[in-house]
Amino acid sequence: MAEDLDFAVRYPFSSEAKLALESRNLELNGSMIAAASERIKSSLKGGSGKSSAIHDEDKINEIASYAAARMLLSFLNNRFITNKFAVAESKRASGYLERDEESAIEKISSELSISVEKDGKNFLIIIPQYLMSSPRAVPYKLINREIHDGKVLINQHERVRLMEEAIRKRMEKVPLLKNAPPLIKDAAQKLISELPKEDLPQVKVKPGDYPPCVMKLLDSVKKHENLNHQARWYLCVYLMATGLADEGIISLYSNLPDFSERITKYQVEHARKKGYSVPSCATITTWGFCCANCRIGSPLNWQGKGGKG
Amino acid sequence: MNEKEKQVVLRHFISFYNKAELEIPSIERREFGIGNIKKIDARHLSFSSTSDFRSYLVSNTPMFVSHSTAYYRYPDATPIQKKVWEGADLVFDLDIHAEGKYGPYAYLDRVKEDAIRLVEEFLTSDFGISKKDITINFSGNRGYHIHVQDKNFQGIGSDERKEIVDYIMGTGLDYHAFFELDSERPNDRVNKGPKPDDGGYRGRFARSVVSVLEKDPKSISRVFSKEDTRKRLIDGINIGNWNSQPFKTNDFIGRLAPIAATLGLVSVNTDAGVTQDLSKLIRVPGSIHGDTGLVAKRVADINKFDPFSDAVIKTSETLKVKFVEDVPELTLLGERLGQFKKDDEKEMNKSVALFYVLKGSALIKE
Repeated sequence: MAEDLDFAVRYPFSSEAKLALESRNLELNGSMIAAASERIKSSLKGGSGKSSAIHDEDKINEIASYAAARMLLSFLNNRFITNKFAVAESKRASGYLERDEESAIEKISSELSISVEKDGKNFLIIIPQYLMSSPRAVPYKLINREIHDGKVLINQHERVRLMEEAIRKRMEKVPLLKNAPPLIKDAAQKLISELPKEDLPQVKVKPGDYPPCVMKLLDSVKKHENLNHQARWYLCVYLMATGLADEGIISLYSNLPDFSERITKYQVEHARKKGYSVPSCATITTWGFCCANCRIGSPLNWQGKGGKG
Repeated sequence: MNEKEKQVVLRHFISFYNKAELEIPSIERREFGIGNIKKIDARHLSFSSTSDFRSYLVSNTPMFVSHSTAYYRYPDATPIQKKVWEGADLVFDLDIHAEGKYGPYAYLDRVKEDAIRLVEEFLTSDFGISKKDITINFSGNRGYHIHVQDKNFQGIGSDERKEIVDYIMGTGLDYHAFFELDSERPNDRVNKGPKPDDGGYRGRFARSVVSVLEKDPKSISRVFSKEDTRKRLIDGINIGNWNSQPFKTNDFIGRLAPIAATLGLVSVNTDAGVTQDLSKLIRVPGSIHGDTGLVAKRVADINKFDPFSDAVIKTSETLKVKFVEDVPELTLLGERLGQFKKDDEKEMNKSVALFYVLKGSALIKE
C-alpha cells in the first residue's frame, strides 16, 4: 500500500502515522521538540491549527511533532495540559473528518474500534459502542435516540462527533514516561517556564466543607477532568445556592480542559437568571453522582465536618 | 434471634445448601462477600469452584452471601485496584419501597410486571440482547434481580450504565424532539412524528398515545371523545402523521406530557447504584436471603413464578412459633396465613415459621 502522508498528517495518532515515522528511523531532535512544544502551546490557547505542510519533509516533521508532543505530555504528567491537548487535537481531527473521504473515515473508525453499518444516508451503531463514545448531552442521550434492535441510528455528523469523543478519550490516556531523554526533560522545563504565569485558581476546600458528591466533583475539577454537562450544571447550581458568586464559579471552571470563558460565563449567568433549585439527593443518585449514604434528602442539608446533616 | 433460634436457622440453611443448585457463571473470577450482622460484613473472598463454594456455605453458613457482578483476574486481591477488573454483568435491581416490614410484599406483582417489561421490551426488543444471556432472579425478599451476560455490554463503564438506567426509567426523555415541525408553519404542521412501530421510545410513546386515545381519550381533550375525530388521529399516528387534530401544534404536543411521563419503569432501584457500581456485590443466585429464609431463586418462567411458593425451602417439618407483633395476612405456600396478633401461637411449616422468625415477628416456641 502506498504511504499516504497527507492522511498521517491529518490523523497523527493513527497507526499509519506511527508507521510513517517508524519506517524512517527518525532520531528525536531539537527542532522536533520545538515543534512539539508549539503544538502543545497552541492547544492550550484553544486550538490546533490545520496543517500547512507541502513537502514530504514538512509533513514528516509535523507528524513527528505530534508524537514528540505525546512524549512531552507523558513526561510532564500534568492532567490539565494533557486534557487540553486531547480536546484541541480531537477537535482538529474531527474538523478533517467532517470533510474527508469515506475510506479515510472508515480507517480511523476501525482504529477506534467503532463499527457502524450503513442505513441509507445514516448509520447504525450497537448500543454499547454508542454509549462509550457519545457526548453526554441531551440530544445524544440514549433515551432520545431512534433505536432499532440494539442499534442506534446516527447521521454522518453525529458519527464524526462520536469519533471525536473516542479520539479525545484515547488521547487523555498517556503512558508514564520515567526515563525521559535529556532533550525531553529540557523541553518540558522550558515549556512549563513559558506557560502563562497566571496560575490556575486553586480549588481550596477542607474535607467536610461540602457533601461527598460535591467534593467528588470538585476533586475532578481539581484534576482537570472533563465533567459532563449535568455534573457542571449541578456543581454550578449547588455553589450558587451556597453563596458563591458567578466570578468564583467561572474561575473554578477554568480548570476544566475545554474551558471557554465566553461559554461558561453565558451558562453561569443563564443558570443564575433561571434561579434553578438544587436537585434532591434522589435526583443526584439517578444522575450517578451520589457516592455516599448521607441520608440528608437534599445536598443542601449538608451540615459539614463530615457529620450527618 | 437468640442462640437457640440461630441454631435452628443454621441447621435449616445447611441442609438446604447441601443439595442446593448453585450455578455461578465464571465463579473463579468473582469476588464474594458474606454477612451475618449486616448484608456484607466481609468481602474479597473467592472460590475456585462450585464445590469449594458449597463446602464454605455448609461449614460457615453466613446469613447472606453475594458475589460481584464484575469479573476479576485476581478476585481476592486488595485493595480493589489490584483485582484487575475484566468487565461486569449488567445487573438491575427491581423493587418497590413501602412502609412497614410486610408493606413491600403487596407490590411484588407490580415489580414482576416491571421485570417482564424490562426483559421483553427493553433488553430484548430495544437493546437486542438475546434471551439466553438474560437471567431473572428473585432477590429473596421484595424484588427481582435481572442479570445480563451479553459480552458487548460487559466492558462498558459506570457512566454508560447510568445512561442505560436513565433509559429504562424514562429519565431525561425529550419527547418534543420526536416531532419535526414544519419550519414555515410550526404552529400548524408536524412534518414527521413518531410511529407505533418506530424503535425505542419513539415507538413506545406513539403506542402509548394511541392506547390512551382508545381507552381514555378525554384525558388528552374532550374533543377526542367523538369517535371519528379520534379515529382520524389514530389512523394518522399509525403512519407518523400527527396533523389530524384541532389544536396548535405545541399546545397539542404539550397535552401529551403526562403520557410521556409514564413510559419508563418505576421499580428500578437506583439507591444502591446496583447497575452503575462496577464493583457491586449482588445476592448469589440460589442462595438464601437471611432476612426471610427465602431462596434467591433463578426464575424459569416469570409468568408462573410465585416467590412465596417457589422460593420457599421445601420441607415437611413443622415448627411452633409465638408472634411478638401483629402480622398482616399473607399467602405462603398457597395457604392464606394470618393475620396474626401479638402473642398468637401457631404450629406451621418450618420454612414458613422461620420466615416470621427471621423477620423478627415471631419466636420459636418449645
